[in-house]
Amino acid sequence: MPTLSRRHFLAGAAGAAGAALLTRAPAAVGQQVRELHVWHTEVDPTTVKTIQETSIAEFERTHPGFKVRQQALGWGDLNTKLLSSLAAGSPPDLTQLNPFMTASLYVKNLLRPMDELIRALGESDIHEATLRLQYFDGKYYGITHAMGATYFCERRDLREKKGLKPPETFDDMLKLCAALTESGRMAFQMPGEKLYMGFVHPAELLASNAGTWVDAKTWRPQFTGRSWLEILGYLQALNKFQPAGWSGQKYLDTQAALATGKIAMSYLSGARAIGYIEKYAPETMRDPEHFAPLLRPRGPSGKLGTTTLDGENWAVFTQSKYPNEAFEFLRLFYKKEHYLAYCHTVPIHLTPIFKSMLSDPAYLGNERIKKWRPWHDTMLTALQQKRLLPLGFTRPDDNLLPFLAELDGSSIVADMVVEVMVGGKNPKAEAERAQKRAEELLTQLGHKRWS
Amino acid sequence: MRKSALAGWLLLAPSLALLGGLVLFPILYNAWLSLFDKHAFLPVQSFVGLKHYVYFAHDEEFWNSFRHGLIYAAATLVLQLAVGIPAALLLNEGFRGRNLLRGVVLFPYVIPTIVAIILWKWLLNDSYGLVNHWLVAGRVTDAPVAWLGKDWIMTSLVITSVWQFFPFVVVTYLARLQTIAPELYEAATVDGAGAGRRFLHVTLPQTASVLFVIVLLRSIWMFTKFDTVWLMAGDGGVSRYIRTLPVYAYARSFTYLQAGMGAALAVIMFLILILATAAYFRVFRHEALS
Repeated sequence: MPTLSRRHFLAGAAGAAGAALLTRAPAAVGQQVRELHVWHTEVDPTTVKTIQETSIAEFERTHPGFKVRQQALGWGDLNTKLLSSLAAGSPPDLTQLNPFMTASLYVKNLLRPMDELIRALGESDIHEATLRLQYFDGKYYGITHAMGATYFCERRDLREKKGLKPPETFDDMLKLCAALTESGRMAFQMPGEKLYMGFVHPAELLASNAGTWVDAKTWRPQFTGRSWLEILGYLQALNKFQPAGWSGQKYLDTQAALATGKIAMSYLSGARAIGYIEKYAPETMRDPEHFAPLLRPRGPSGKLGTTTLDGENWAVFTQSKYPNEAFEFLRLFYKKEHYLAYCHTVPIHLTPIFKSMLSDPAYLGNERIKKWRPWHDTMLTALQQKRLLPLGFTRPDDNLLPFLAELDGSSIVADMVVEVMVGGKNPKAEAERAQKRAEELLTQLGHKRWS
Repeated sequence: MRKSALAGWLLLAPSLALLGGLVLFPILYNAWLSLFDKHAFLPVQSFVGLKHYVYFAHDEEFWNSFRHGLIYAAATLVLQLAVGIPAALLLNEGFRGRNLLRGVVLFPYVIPTIVAIILWKWLLNDSYGLVNHWLVAGRVTDAPVAWLGKDWIMTSLVITSVWQFFPFVVVTYLARLQTIAPELYEAATVDGAGAGRRFLHVTLPQTASVLFVIVLLRSIWMFTKFDTVWLMAGDGGVSRYIRTLPVYAYARSFTYLQAGMGAALAVIMFLILILATAAYFRVFRHEALS
């Protein structure tokens, strides 16, 4: 048996290791692996997988030496993590933002404009409901990833059995709730999370009743105004038609209660609810004849019920390490086949932002969209009738308010709503308390413009 | 002499550096921060002196949170003692299965808080919780009780906390019970003392010092408890009814994004605890010395 000298063995081993290194990746030789960090809020595993297999795969193929790291985060986690990363000076290269946060980041010069990208994608094809949400001083600073909406999900069969039409006004809604509340079943349930009952829903109610968070010119809070007082009265009346413990329960509890017949309507719903219905509702009822979306009713002072447009926007920070690549990634994200695959991961909840795609057979051909077509049609109705406003907005110009994140975080609205609804307190007194707290908060934050 | 003093200081230096860096610096930094109007994450700040402290003196939310904190700490402390001491006395007796039971009783204390809270919220849920199922099935109530709603959320929080933390009382008290000389009980029995008198005249005096420590530690820990309270109601609507000072301080820092005000609340809590501890030591001077 031939012997191998130590010198030959070492030389051979070094050669093999070198060859392995050379074939492993081009990045290993004279080229450092660069990571593009992308954060988003679509936590559904199918969505994450689809992004990985479409946009990311193509980006990495066409950008050798780059590796895309996507991170899916819930809303609450995203905001905190994002602000911490900004404070540390190392934000992700590309992220989704809640529209109500965009203004406060823009005024601090933290965002990059993306006009070129928007024009390349087709400015005129992007739906008006989203196009100008991040438009400041003549430039675009964001683009919505997809459009969802929040609305009631009702047991349509129960309502129709009572011979009632979908409610148009607050009064209609109270009548419907009274009719649907029967022994063992309550009419509806609101989610107890602060973000919803203390921010999203109050914003919808204000928009539906000609109200606003603050005066447009002076930014003075409007809690003691007529609109709020009417809303608080309505909420107090509405409360007796929902389970007593609702304020301690969460969004998912409301979906479970609806699917299992404990309530006739869930207050907060979206097309994501279809998944719960298909999984948990009795088998013979998993269809749009039994479960249907209902748009929000209008208040006595309002003209049109307004619903929340659930759609975060992509943003690129001034501190991003690879801004050009971030924009390149977005071009691939919106590439038709990638974008269709993305929207189909949670059909209807991820409605495309491009007008041309809303009636595109390639989009509508999805099995779930075909089966749940009335839900898609409701989304189109809301878009056509301009009944959608971004999360937490009471009017389109709220995108200019740099304190909505702090207002949401403060619990001022949530405390007022829960005291009026659950505590049964006097709406006027609670509104005055909220007014005082909100004025103090805006003063502390340096946003006081009134005298 | 001077050389040996220097050597002494050098030997002490690592401990002093650790104490200074890990204990003193955060406290001082927090106190300094409380004098500023500072955004939680963005580099925006301005000096405001004692403005935050003046504000909180008149802030209704502060006083509500303080009141909730007192109720929570007092109720949980009393109940932990009420459950923990009898349990320790029982586990100090000789009976079959005692060792197993001593292990089991520790269970709530060793599981993560998040697990304990999920478990209790599931049990107490008014739609699908077991507690309500049993109450309705046993005809104790006609309709499910909203344990996590406005009227019962504080009670639910107290029950959950007592369940989670009474084992600390059991273990600490039991450890002291096991060191009491049996001769003391024998002498008391010979003198004609029954179980009640033996507890009053032997057990209590012998365990006074450990009770002093238990009450001190558990009151501080319950008054500053954050995780259990936060996980029970999060920042949901019902949190209004159990919002304690630590939760309010967290909210001011990380949801209102007012780090300076959050820091001021932390300083206030620190001062409250220092004063309460000093008063406690003064009242129970004898136990503290023993």
